[in-house]
Amino acid sequence: MVLEATMICIDNSEWMRNGDYAPSRFQAQADAVNLICGAKTQSNPENTVGVMTMAGKGVRVLVTPTSDLGKILACMHGLEVGAEANLAAAIQVAQLALKHRQNKRQQQRIIAFIGSPVKYDKKVLETIGKKLKKNNVSLDIVDFGEIDDEKPEKLEALISAVNSSDSSHIVHVPPGEIALSDVLISTPIFTGEEGGSGFAASAAAAAATGAAGFEFDVDPNVDPELALALRLSMEEERARQEAIAKKAAEESSGAENKDHVSSSNTDSVMAEAEPASNATADDKKDQPKDDDDAQLLQQALAMSMDEGSSGAAAVADAAMAEVAVDDQDLALALQMSVQDASMSGQSDMSKVFEDRSFVTSILNSLPGVDPNDPSVKDLLASLHGQGEQEKEDRSDKPEDEKK
Amino acid sequence: MAAAAPAAAPAAAAAPAPTVPAPQVPRGQVDLVDFVDWSGVECLNQDSSHTVVNALKQGYRDDEGLYLASDSDEQLLIYIPFMQVVKLHSALFKGPEEEGPKTIKLFSNKEHMGFSNVSDYPPSDSLNLSSNHLVENKLVQLKYVKFQNVRSLTIFVDNNQSGSDVSKIQKIALYGTTVDTTNMKDLKKIEEH
Repeated sequence: MVLEATMICIDNSEWMRNGDYAPSRFQAQADAVNLICGAKTQSNPENTVGVMTMAGKGVRVLVTPTSDLGKILACMHGLEVGAEANLAAAIQVAQLALKHRQNKRQQQRIIAFIGSPVKYDKKVLETIGKKLKKNNVSLDIVDFGEIDDEKPEKLEALISAVNSSDSSHIVHVPPGEIALSDVLISTPIFTGEEGGSGFAASAAAAAATGAAGFEFDVDPNVDPELALALRLSMEEERARQEAIAKKAAEESSGAENKDHVSSSNTDSVMAEAEPASNATADDKKDQPKDDDDAQLLQQALAMSMDEGSSGAAAVADAAMAEVAVDDQDLALALQMSVQDASMSGQSDMSKVFEDRSFVTSILNSLPGVDPNDPSVKDLLASLHGQGEQEKEDRSDKPEDEKK
Repeated sequence: MAAAAPAAAPAAAAAPAPTVPAPQVPRGQVDLVDFVDWSGVECLNQDSSHTVVNALKQGYRDDEGLYLASDSDEQLLIYIPFMQVVKLHSALFKGPEEEGPKTIKLFSNKEHMGFSNVSDYPPSDSLNLSSNHLVENKLVQLKYVKFQNVRSLTIFVDNNQSGSDVSKIQKIALYGTTVDTTNMKDLKKIEEH
């Protein structure tokens, strides 16, 4: 919660066109800047952030330190990429902008994104650093983009010249899978000196990169009861959300099954439950958590089948035979479907859909779908392929019973 | 007021032992350390392990081992706000012979100065200390007329005696009088009958 005025120096030189950070270096940088602005303004409402460019049309201040996040985000639009970054001049201008901040009680901080090669030598950088330290300005450096032999050393030297009592930091971000902003979230640039703001701490937790931030911005050592109360209420809320999500999932799974049938119909000549498994496989990809969803689906199926025992829901489980099923015919049908299944590594869900009785019973429960409708019957036939006449006979019987 | 300086000088001459004489508070003046607003005291370019508190605060400043040291180079910029409006009469600087301050500029009532604008305005007073001042507790007279209405004082240490990279100050004491303004801390609520 430290009161701070920050100037962010953006590198918009030609080197930023490179695409080794998705989607381009410049875009990754812009995202990171947006995140940092948000974090700073959230951690203390009186914090101000300003933005300036180091290259492009030249060293320009785009927006002077302000707490208006909208202004800051707006100024990032329409920035052109080009020319070379002038680090020394940029830091001087940033210092000047900070010197004339409105609230003199704010600490001064400069965050520099350095993606192009550094053409100054160590001595010059150290002098710059000393001047910053003399004027009590902290400096954070994000070293990304161009990988030079000496660049990390030079920047480390700069930081050690500026650093007084650990207020300045440097982060080296190599190109790769992880986005620039995600890497920065866990660094002290985001989280600040102590535990950091609630925004930064929760973002760090979400990114699962283990920041040293306390949850809910409350130190358990200082105020254990409050931390505990916050944690409990958070968990309660989460449980409630999950319950709501489950209910929504059940309702949607009914619609899902309908989708499965129709999508599988669009596939041409097929073996047994290939189309079904394809459809389910696709769907599975969309679903974030396989296990949870399978369970939810089973529960949904159980409910829609109006089966009292939860064992019926576990029909889709591989240990189908062990499950006590009330309906004899259903058991037979299930056994048949298990025997017929010749695919290895088949998903649970495809087994479910292979069982025609299941599908028909589900369709029974769906409003507006009449299983005896010829078009639906055609769908089911194509779903399970040829040579399943006997299955159809069998499924007719439970169908009748269910009616 | 002139009696103050001669009073200190014979005391120094009369003392047989090599111990430094205690500074005589000039007549009619008080040590203004009690009127310093500590929450606003700032020092640019100080070494974080040797802060300005070591030179200003009662007790710290008398300890020989505690001093204020500069960090990146030999300059220091000290900002001292007062809780009341004061008049400054004289000052005392104590420091090592080599690294003690030499040229000092004083600015009255200028808030938030930086190293870049010390040359922008003329100082209220400019002092040139010799090693005598530093070691022998010699008071330095200030231009009294310039310091009649002081809310805050900025002390700029330009260089030190030996020209080394680090300036060290053991003690800074300011002597003067207060103008009778209200000290907000003394305001008390009147009891209702």
